[in-house]
Amino acid sequence: MSEALFLSNDALRDLVAGLVAAGTAVIGPAPAGGPSIPGLEERQPPTAKGIYGALEYREVRDADELALGPGMPRLSLKQFFLPQSETLFSWKQRGADVEIRETPIAFNPRVVLGAKPCDAAALEIVDGVMDWEYRDELWNGRREATTIFALACAVEDDHCFCPSVGAAPDTVKGADGLLTPITGGFLVQATTAKGEAFLAANRARFAAPPAGGADEARAYREAALARIGENAQIDAARVRDWIEHHFEDPFWATLGVRCNGCGACTMVCPTCHCFDIVDEEEGVGCGTRRRCWDTCQAGKFTLHASGHNPRADQIARYRQRINHKFAVYPLKFGEVLCTGCGRCVRTCQMGQNIGEILVAIDEYAQRTGESGDASAATGPAAGAAP
Amino acid sequence: MKELRDLARQLLADGTVDVVVGWEDSPRGARPIFATTPDDAGKLIFDTRCLHNLATYLNPRRKQVTDLGKLALVIKGCDAKAVAGLLREAQLDRDRVVLIGVRCGGVCEDSMAPEPVALTPETVAPRCFGCDNREPHLVDHLVGDPRPEPPAPLLTLDERVAALDALTPEQRWEYWTAQFDKCVRCYACRQVCPMCVCERCVADKSRPQWIETASHPRGNLSWNVTRALHLAGRCVGCGECERFCPAGIPLATLNRKLQQVVEQRYDYRVADDPEVTAPIGDFRLDDQQEFIK
Repeated sequence: MSEALFLSNDALRDLVAGLVAAGTAVIGPAPAGGPSIPGLEERQPPTAKGIYGALEYREVRDADELALGPGMPRLSLKQFFLPQSETLFSWKQRGADVEIRETPIAFNPRVVLGAKPCDAAALEIVDGVMDWEYRDELWNGRREATTIFALACAVEDDHCFCPSVGAAPDTVKGADGLLTPITGGFLVQATTAKGEAFLAANRARFAAPPAGGADEARAYREAALARIGENAQIDAARVRDWIEHHFEDPFWATLGVRCNGCGACTMVCPTCHCFDIVDEEEGVGCGTRRRCWDTCQAGKFTLHASGHNPRADQIARYRQRINHKFAVYPLKFGEVLCTGCGRCVRTCQMGQNIGEILVAIDEYAQRTGESGDASAATGPAAGAAP
Repeated sequence: MKELRDLARQLLADGTVDVVVGWEDSPRGARPIFATTPDDAGKLIFDTRCLHNLATYLNPRRKQVTDLGKLALVIKGCDAKAVAGLLREAQLDRDRVVLIGVRCGGVCEDSMAPEPVALTPETVAPRCFGCDNREPHLVDHLVGDPRPEPPAPLLTLDERVAALDALTPEQRWEYWTAQFDKCVRCYACRQVCPMCVCERCVADKSRPQWIETASHPRGNLSWNVTRALHLAGRCVGCGECERFCPAGIPLATLNRKLQQVVEQRYDYRVADDPEVTAPIGDFRLDDQQEFIK
């Protein structure tokens, strides 16, 4: 980690202005916009969803738009690396002539200021699959063009559980540096060569930390660690082992029964990355191939051409969500496909609570023994489902 | 509460039903519970956070629920409209379900509040305004004391519709285009809808691809408009689609507009009586049909 520097709030304004003027896109958490009905703005009731959903990651033109404090953006950072829908190529066909127009894979430089550490960490986890047997040019191109400074988190609420999945409120995984709020600005540290290059290129904006600044930053981070310690904790290895050996366990039926299969959890998830590729015709003999976010919670996700569906109901689909995140991905790529951000819990209007479910699996695994012998256990009744 | 829990215990104990679907308290507010034991029945609650329309679990598409056996379902008066809708469209066998009605004094907009929310103009769900079903019909059991009428919301759905109607078509187009632009195409609105009963949704058909799956303006417009039109005269106004939308699109306002149009053209208001025919399943010689030229 590089030496700590100080970025004052005023210098942050100059930094953003300078980057924008130089053509670098600046992305960060900002109050969520959106149209309102003309004439009714004054009478809109306050949002019922509290602080969650009040922010969104977006490109800003000015540091004053940024909200570098508490608050979890509604959608994660993944949309800037894997957009909801993106063009892979377009085609035009006339007789035997086919003209293909490829999507450019060169990207302009971007900086993310104030990523949630769990959102930055998610990118590094998903890198595993995006640079595996096939190197995804669009994902990796955007990753390389983007410098990310995470903002040390003070813990959002009771639904964060990052330490259980190998992260922390001040993790720098997936990021190039860390911002920690202190009086008058931020303590900034670079953690990768890319991050150091960014600090060097913008050295004029940064100053030596004020006296006591390092202690203040440490206290902030320690307070967050203590706070997150009060939240749900699981043994991810034990959960993984249990899932791996209990694909048919009756316990699953109790876990997925209230799930609607709406898929909102997968849309807001920073690590869910499944997509569907579609050819959309746009006239005679021409069209565009796009890839769009998809969700394993939809029945159509696994529907075969024959009409058979190996995941016949929501119980099987919900099991898939847990199985892929906490067993399949760790076994294949060595990391849990979850950063404990809690977005799925905050989003699910039916009250599916992944933190509670992981604790239930962990406890059930302990009850049934380390050997994972399901026959020794009596599954809890449906109503006892978390 | 005791009355509800005692009734659920009795229905489970005497084997009338295999599971009682109602609400329970959780680490994140009120949520559905599938109670199968007397202990579970003791967890049942009903308060202002119980705004979920549980009739969605009667949807024949939900195999994980139909597999549970015979259900008892706790419903509010407004939820009874969805049950009536399912019966009207022959999607539900009335003998399959025992309906427990709860007398309701309105619900709030936030099911996830840690404790019951006092109803004020700021907190009350707009759909509770002018509610004529606070005592559910169609039920086998009715529990709870009569509750006072909820306060009027800060802004009613009709006021929202009127404000949009007052705009020019260009302004309205701009407003809805910007709203639909937020759509992530998760189809949460469809999944939660108690009236979206199709075995295979038009959005899931790929030969031909009626509705483009990409979330560009064209795809988003065709999905959102198709969803709304397929629910015209069928939507019960529970607002679950809007509540579930992770993108925050005001779908209830759109649905309300369609309810108004159906009411004006066919003199039909969504009813909790399955014998009342809905325009989609009815033809009358005096139906307005000036669009057939």
